[in-house]
Amino acid sequence: MIWLTWRQHRRQTLVTLIGLGVLAAVLIPTGLAMRGDFTGGGLSQCLTGGTDQCMNQLRRFNDKWVNVGSAGVLMLFLPLLIGLFWGAPLVAREVEHGTHRLVWTQGISRGHWAAVKFGYAGLAALAFSVLYGLGVAWWLEPLNQTGNRTRFDPFFFDMQGIAPIGYTIFALALGIAAGTIFHRVLPSMAVALAGFVVVRVALAVLVRPGYETPAERTFPVIGGGAHDEVTADWVLDQGIRDASGKMIAPGAQAICPPGATGPDGATPCGADLGLTRGSYTWEQYQPADRFWTFQAIETGIFLVLAAALIVLAVRRIRRIA
Amino acid sequence: MDTALECSELGKRYGTTWALRDCSFGVPVGRIAALVGPNGAGKSTLLHLAVGLLRPDSGDVRVLGQVPYRNTSVLSEIGFVAQDTPLYRDFTAAELITMGGKLNKRWDAALARHRLAQLGLPPDKAVGKLSGGQRAQVALALALAKRPRLLLLDEPVASLDPLARREFLQALMGSVAESGATVVLSSHLLADLERMCDYLVVLHSSRVQLVGDVDDLVGQHRRLVGPRHDDNVGIPGVAEVIKASHTDRQSTLLARVDGPVDPLWTAHQVTLEDLILAYLADGGTQASHDAWGVPA
Repeated sequence: MIWLTWRQHRRQTLVTLIGLGVLAAVLIPTGLAMRGDFTGGGLSQCLTGGTDQCMNQLRRFNDKWVNVGSAGVLMLFLPLLIGLFWGAPLVAREVEHGTHRLVWTQGISRGHWAAVKFGYAGLAALAFSVLYGLGVAWWLEPLNQTGNRTRFDPFFFDMQGIAPIGYTIFALALGIAAGTIFHRVLPSMAVALAGFVVVRVALAVLVRPGYETPAERTFPVIGGGAHDEVTADWVLDQGIRDASGKMIAPGAQAICPPGATGPDGATPCGADLGLTRGSYTWEQYQPADRFWTFQAIETGIFLVLAAALIVLAVRRIRRIA
Repeated sequence: MDTALECSELGKRYGTTWALRDCSFGVPVGRIAALVGPNGAGKSTLLHLAVGLLRPDSGDVRVLGQVPYRNTSVLSEIGFVAQDTPLYRDFTAAELITMGGKLNKRWDAALARHRLAQLGLPPDKAVGKLSGGQRAQVALALALAKRPRLLLLDEPVASLDPLARREFLQALMGSVAESGATVVLSSHLLADLERMCDYLVVLHSSRVQLVGDVDDLVGQHRRLVGPRHDDNVGIPGVAEVIKASHTDRQSTLLARVDGPVDPLWTAHQVTLEDLILAYLADGGTQASHDAWGVPA
């Protein structure tokens, strides 16, 4: 069975390896250049608050590299490719060509067949996603530290660390399960595509912010804590509240130096925005050090979903004739 | 007498439609049985039940005394050639033989190689590039290499041209004579079966219409020509009228006889083909004027 699986998937395996090679050929040179700029500019000392020169350096670094990092968003689609080209055809192509009647009537059970086929595809997806997730984490490390695109940024969270492992295994399982239901490659691919996007977006937007109870912090508007420390916290919500805690300017932030006045030179700073004495800026956020906890929760959710889909697929396979 | 394939009240349903219903018959060991019926009669369903691809919804099916669904030990006793002889088209014939060796405990690779060599098939060409007849031969060689005690073939020659069809059936007959396997092959091509089958199962509209040894069945039936006779009963020696056609003065009956027939009637021998067609015509078709929205 292992021989058959290798024989059937050797071309796919080769193409996947070439894909990883191309990815490495892009990430390694750009990653090294980014690191060169980071250490060359002495940016690591600037991260804990610093001089104007530091801020300049940071801005220059961000201007130069943020677009490169954003191009990395394309890598969000890599798990989907595994789902479409490894997962969807795995069962659907056999049924579409009728070859399931050849292979399931030899001397091995369908359970055995499924275990080896799913196992091989699963290992391939795992190896692929580990290399890609950790490789991208290495690649983005300097950029994640300079405050413009933190590790918690919705796109940047999704393409590094261990979350891509969950996404890739999930995409694979979704493709396989779709194949056991629709029995044709193209509809299975379409369903896997739609399903993957819907589940990913729904989780990222609706569920992820609440994996842990968010922390809160406040800064007084007048003489408030200067935001010169670069943090990688994930700010979920913010606004300005008055002294009684009532929200008066949702989504806004304000800092006034002590004794500052409004544009007319007479009223206190912020009065034209409706700010009163004792107003403060309020932030609800997920602290940066929760990154790996969130990665683990996200990965766990997708692995559980993948396991459920595989159970479904195995049950469906017993009913295909 | 041992039975290689036995069904009792076997049924399979897709949704609310029964593809096969109340199917009870047995095929004795060593026979070459033809499973005959029009498209959609349930032939493939029956074979899929026999090879364990499907689980029955009612009754049961046994192959060599065992239930085939989720049973790999009986699976290794069955050689199965599915409809349209599916093969991995990017594999070569040699690779397919290797594959069979990896997936079966008992596997006669030498047998398969010899057969394909004798037929002049290339071992290292992707089977997708072979002709339909050659692919069917590869599929048959793979089924035979399991050294099966029961060989099931689902319309193996339906898509082949007449020459390839004859070659395939000759190859099949030759190998069956050597191995002594029981064979069940489905077909809607009657002429092919007449020469090679000694057992017959006629399926129509999801039900078994006729089962038995070919010679017995042919011996039990007669074409009777006699005076016009409309009610189809009460003719001495006639057990059952299968099909009747009438002109003004004369009736022609295809009937099962159980004794000397009334000398008023002239009895003729029937061919297997006559017999099968008579039983298939019996099912009848329902007019669908309503569905088409046309007047009856």
